[in-house]
Amino acid sequence: MITLTINEKEITLDKPVTVLEAAKLAGIKIPTLCYHEALKPYGGCRLCVVEVERMPRLQTSCTLMSADGMVVKTESEAISKARRGILEFLLINHPLDCPYCDKAGECELQDMVNKYGASAGRYKEEKRKVPESHKDQILARNMERCIVCTRCVRMCGDVQGASAISIIGRGNRSRMEPFSSAAFNCEYCGNCLTVCPVGAILSRLYIHSFRPWQLDKEVETVCSYCGVGCSFVAQVRDDSIKRVIPRFDLGLNKGLLCSRGRFGYEYISSPERLKTPLVRKHGKLEESTWSEALSVVAERLGHIKKTHGGSSIAGIASPRCCNEDNYVFQKFMRTVCGSNNIDSISRTGFAAAQKYFEDLLGQGITANMIDGLKNSDAILILGGDPTAINPVLGLSIREASGRGAKILVLGNAKGLERFKTLHIMPEVFKEADTLESLLIGIYNARGTRGEKPAIDHGIKSLAGKTGARTAVPEFDELMMTLLESKSASIVFGPDLVQRTDGHRSLFAVSGLTYLLEARLYLLSEKPNEQGVVDTGCVPDMLPGGRPLNVYDFRRKFEEAWKGPVPAEDGLTLFEIIENAGAGKIKAMYIMGENPVFNLPGGPYIKNKLQSLDLLVVQDLFLTETAEIADVVLPALGWSERTGTYTNLERRVQLQRKTVETLHGMEDWRIISEVSGRMGCKMSYTEVRDIMEEMAGVSPLYRDITYQEIGKGNCLWPYHGEPLRGEMKTVPAAADIEREHREDFYLSVEKPLFHSGTLSGKSPALMKIYPGPVLRVGASAAKKAGLKEGDKVQFFTQTGSREAVVSIEESIRDNRVYYSNNFKGSGALGLMTFTIDEVTKAPGLEGCEVKIKKL
Amino acid sequence: MEKILLKNIDNPNSAGINEYIKAGGYQGLSKALGLQPKDVLEEVKKSGLRGRGGAGFPVGMKWSFALADPKFPKYLICNADEGEPGTFKDRPILEKNPHLLIEGMVISGYTLGSEYGYIYLRGEYPLAKDILNRAINEAREKNYLGDNILGKGIKFHLVVYQGAGAYICGEETALIESIEGKKGQPRNKPPFPVNSGAWALPTIVNNVETLSNVPYIVTIGGEAYSKIGSKDCPGPKLFSVSGCVEKPGVYELPMGTSLKDIIFRHAGGIKGGKKLKAVIPGGISTPVLPADGIDCAMDFVAMPKAGSMLGSGAVIVMDESVCMVRVTYRALKFFEHESCGKCVPCREGTDWLRKILERIENGKGRDGDIELLSDVAANIAGKTFCPLGDGAAGVINGMLKHFRNEFEEHIKNAECIFS
Amino acid sequence: MFNETVLKEIDEIRVKYPDRKSALLPSLYIAQREFGWLSQEALLCVAKTLNLPETEVRGAASFYSMYRHKPAGRNLIQLCTNVSCMVLGAERLADFISRKYGVQPGGTSQDGRFSLVIMECIGACGTAPAMLVNTDFHDSLTEKRIEEILEKYK
Ligand SMILES: Cc1cc2nc3c(=O)[nH]c(=O)nc-3n(C[C@H](O)[C@H](O)[C@H](O)COP(=O)(O)O)c2cc1C
Ligand code: SF4
Ligand code: FES
Repeated sequence: MITLTINEKEITLDKPVTVLEAAKLAGIKIPTLCYHEALKPYGGCRLCVVEVERMPRLQTSCTLMSADGMVVKTESEAISKARRGILEFLLINHPLDCPYCDKAGECELQDMVNKYGASAGRYKEEKRKVPESHKDQILARNMERCIVCTRCVRMCGDVQGASAISIIGRGNRSRMEPFSSAAFNCEYCGNCLTVCPVGAILSRLYIHSFRPWQLDKEVETVCSYCGVGCSFVAQVRDDSIKRVIPRFDLGLNKGLLCSRGRFGYEYISSPERLKTPLVRKHGKLEESTWSEALSVVAERLGHIKKTHGGSSIAGIASPRCCNEDNYVFQKFMRTVCGSNNIDSISRTGFAAAQKYFEDLLGQGITANMIDGLKNSDAILILGGDPTAINPVLGLSIREASGRGAKILVLGNAKGLERFKTLHIMPEVFKEADTLESLLIGIYNARGTRGEKPAIDHGIKSLAGKTGARTAVPEFDELMMTLLESKSASIVFGPDLVQRTDGHRSLFAVSGLTYLLEARLYLLSEKPNEQGVVDTGCVPDMLPGGRPLNVYDFRRKFEEAWKGPVPAEDGLTLFEIIENAGAGKIKAMYIMGENPVFNLPGGPYIKNKLQSLDLLVVQDLFLTETAEIADVVLPALGWSERTGTYTNLERRVQLQRKTVETLHGMEDWRIISEVSGRMGCKMSYTEVRDIMEEMAGVSPLYRDITYQEIGKGNCLWPYHGEPLRGEMKTVPAAADIEREHREDFYLSVEKPLFHSGTLSGKSPALMKIYPGPVLRVGASAAKKAGLKEGDKVQFFTQTGSREAVVSIEESIRDNRVYYSNNFKGSGALGLMTFTIDEVTKAPGLEGCEVKIKKL
Repeated sequence: MEKILLKNIDNPNSAGINEYIKAGGYQGLSKALGLQPKDVLEEVKKSGLRGRGGAGFPVGMKWSFALADPKFPKYLICNADEGEPGTFKDRPILEKNPHLLIEGMVISGYTLGSEYGYIYLRGEYPLAKDILNRAINEAREKNYLGDNILGKGIKFHLVVYQGAGAYICGEETALIESIEGKKGQPRNKPPFPVNSGAWALPTIVNNVETLSNVPYIVTIGGEAYSKIGSKDCPGPKLFSVSGCVEKPGVYELPMGTSLKDIIFRHAGGIKGGKKLKAVIPGGISTPVLPADGIDCAMDFVAMPKAGSMLGSGAVIVMDESVCMVRVTYRALKFFEHESCGKCVPCREGTDWLRKILERIENGKGRDGDIELLSDVAANIAGKTFCPLGDGAAGVINGMLKHFRNEFEEHIKNAECIFS
Repeated sequence: MFNETVLKEIDEIRVKYPDRKSALLPSLYIAQREFGWLSQEALLCVAKTLNLPETEVRGAASFYSMYRHKPAGRNLIQLCTNVSCMVLGAERLADFISRKYGVQPGGTSQDGRFSLVIMECIGACGTAPAMLVNTDFHDSLTEKRIEEILEKYK
């Protein structure tokens, strides 16, 4: 206990904080500039000076720790003079261009000068002159205005971990610069923008386009890009989003954003958005009216159901749509169409992995708070680069590294290059072997825990198998680190699911999680992958994870939904596709998904979908899949409607409607319109009604309300209870032996600056990363005689692309990476795949590539 | 007084280990290793030795702080950054008597339980770097350094780290940042280096001259040592005398020798028989003294009473032909150039002061400039992150106190009468 | 990238300190020796070798005045004009060098023979005025002595 006196007010603290923070707790405001709550104290601006009894000089309260018995004064004549002096110093080189500067109205320096004043006009010498730099496409840099508080540099280095800017020069020649002194060439998180107190760093997305006081409204909402679900405030003027700003007291991201979240919001106002429904007539998609289009869908679905039965209809839900959309979608599919053939693209990663983990380890095993990662002492990262897939989660890993955690990376992960303690690079086809040997190693050292018979048994029989699996050089060290760890975490990305033997890796990771009592985090590329599963958009589970094949559960839903639910499990994503057309699937209803482009084997999938009797697509854009649909229905996107999302920690969050749009309809509303036309009227008038229904029927969301969700506290397990039991045996499939044959294997790049094809409609993100390149590791490139910028053509078994080579130091093996974010040139379209019999996810790792220089 | 620090330096081979040993070198080390570390510490405490880097902090006390910290390892850093303008006293030790410093560091390391020592050498001393490295090798070969010093199982390793041209790196926390491979910007204190210094471990930073006193203290005992020089600040002191004197150079004299004697008795008086005008007694960061203010004892206690500071003991002498405005301007140019840029008052204030002074010196002074100088200095003093800014303000205050008329004349006549 | 010998040299420096980052300043000296000045390429080499962020390397390098941030002449004259040297006429000597060798402070002569840098104190005040040419100290300077000395640097 520390008791100190500030301005004659006695303050008691239970843990030591700085005098500045103590004053803040007591409601006493001390002016600051270089201080920022998210950053380490710096003590450079000297504005926060206070008088402390028995200390000779003025003290900076931002760096001074409170001590028992301290007597502090925060205002006095001497303090005011010091502050005025500092402000005068700051202004001698600061231009007086407030009328022109974008920051005016929210500039901390301006506010401070208004409050404390500065003896004006004593500086008669020349001011520092530096022209504003627009050499970067996204960020403008005005070094005349910079007051060298270093908040941006500390943010970039200490928090973001990008270290892309620095103070160059010394003394009054100091200036903030990126390495190149021109373009930033950074992670473009823009977190430097948030912390700059003056107008020295500005976003070119909105420079000179509005004044802070001209905004019409501010809406607290959630980002639409990935499964982290960062919160921010969208600022609106004239019904368009001018910018998004994170707040340090808002959401799990605590003031941080990534490039997509900060600069990617513009896709919503893309001129390419669908404006009217389209109906295929005489082989061509033609503009239509809502009533015509909806009737066509209802009629034809009804007809197909009647002739081929409900199970001839399949639905693909979307991890980009909110819980309400997905819930209504599966309810529609089950009760109105009479089909359990519902799945989503999450099958290729998140959903498949989660199902496996929950089956073995219990429901909720992946529901861990992102914030907790930073307290881990060892983090094992596999299956993708968290700093690109879920950037803000990646920051917690970097923070953990700063706190001394061991960062153990398996596979390529560019964003952790400078943070990893150990890097393991199993060859193509050898990942599962490596993980199994690791599991056996840990088991041999520790034994099993004897708590979960299925895993215990699985581990033992694995260990009993003859012939040691592959060990990589750093293996012992990896094992020792994990054995020594007291609070290990495992961060699991989708790449390892997309393997022919993905289930083996999943078992090994389950075993490791279990033996190490680790926290398991599942990376999630899309914003609502968890929600898709939880709302029942899976062929074998009802909302809330209730197994479909248990009669009692099914009956409860039938009662609530007032209609029958088919009893047998539906088909999974690839089974649906395989059966399309010639098989038993005649109609497909796709909500917010683009399988032709987003699934491997594009031409094959396109072919299959084209042979359907009916293809209905709801989307924002005329995607590759929409192009071949019979009916296309324009939907509403992020910020145009309200709804909830469940992030990868299983936190339900509220995305609020921010702007009005003239075209399109909410996904759930389109579906309830179709449903009504098929004779089943749904009774929702607004989105809230859906959540109310869900809270009533899904044990997972019991009693949940928008009000509670809005506060951001709706965390697993909500008010619910564990819902389904663990598996008694480990599902298995026959081992497949494959050989490493080619020099190169194609992998799908998961870039930081893009997400699906949506981000491609955001001009800012397109400026940062304008088109696909073939990323090749440095040593592989050297071996093949490839250089940066080389024009090449690369071939897979099914196709080829021309591309420019980009050499990437962080790629340590012979995988080459090509993105799937740019229309007309996706990597997935070049890939063939096999299906993992256990997870039903596609295996993509064996895609051999030949590269020809042009 | 017998020479202790500069002993033997007239011998052209003084830097070699054989000459050093011949002259009695490394006997202090043998003796020290025969004692318990705490006994050596006791001797150092008794000696009353104060740091020679400028601040005059009692060495024994600093060492006990570091010893009291339970963290290991501990590091010993020798501050050989010698950047204070006018100072060149460490250079003869580094270039001509390097083994004295090495011996001092090994004893200090032994006392402090430190096995790693670093000499932070300013980049502008390339010759000293080679000499030190050679000396370190010689000492290692002869087992005065290494893993088993003098066969006693004592370990101490020494590395020379070359600075790269930044005055602020003489400040101990900036020095530590620099040795860690960063910009040399001072750190916030507390924590002090004795608890969390280099690589966040307890670190003792001492000046070259300070550490070079240690062998002698061990040899003759703290008690005997404390009888040398002044009562408050015992020991020998190196004075760098430069500027308008007949015999500039480094003088080893007892602490407390009068400034007047240093200039007139030892350094041969004012060059060319000119009249003395002003003296900066302790390096450029210390306030100037007028010709009639030099009857003072040069030590850490007496100098503040005389209106200045001992600093590094760098006596810069100016005769009647020197323009004090120009000196002030040059000094501020130095501070402005060397300001690390971390804190606002120093970064912006020194620049502003320099610009005003440049104007006055060039005959473009204005009414009110003197008040402005003094107010800007007041806005710097006591508000900066580290003492560099205080130094700049002190220079202005000292100059305005004693030579205000010269500033006034520059402004009134709109020109510099000296050029 | 640095050649093997240089990489080995840097490795040897690295092990002298508890943290690899300490090798930064020495490595920058090496890069300066190898490249003549700290070009972007030189800084990148250092960053890569030490696995440090490039901007951090550049930031630190730019703080110190003995690193060259633009190409320099064959010989670097570092002349002190701080007070002790100044009162003995160092500023006039700076003008003299500028005029005589066609090199402005902070610049390089047209023939690339000399670069001139005005230094803060170089610790030779006892024999002021003084300068460093490359790594050699020269003191008690006069115009004549400067002419004689610089004669030796081609
Ligand atoms: C701006 C500034 C520059 C300094 N420069 C030096 C220096 O060049 N050499 C030195 O020994 N101490 C210098 N010091 C003092 C050091 O911070 C520190 O007090 C000293 O190295 C401690 O050693 P000592 O106790 O042996 O004197 C400087 C201090 C400041 C504030
Ligand atoms: S981390 Fe994910 S949720 Fe957060 S801003 Fe980036 S894309 Fe949006
Ligand atoms: S806020 Fe304390 S010094 Fe800037």
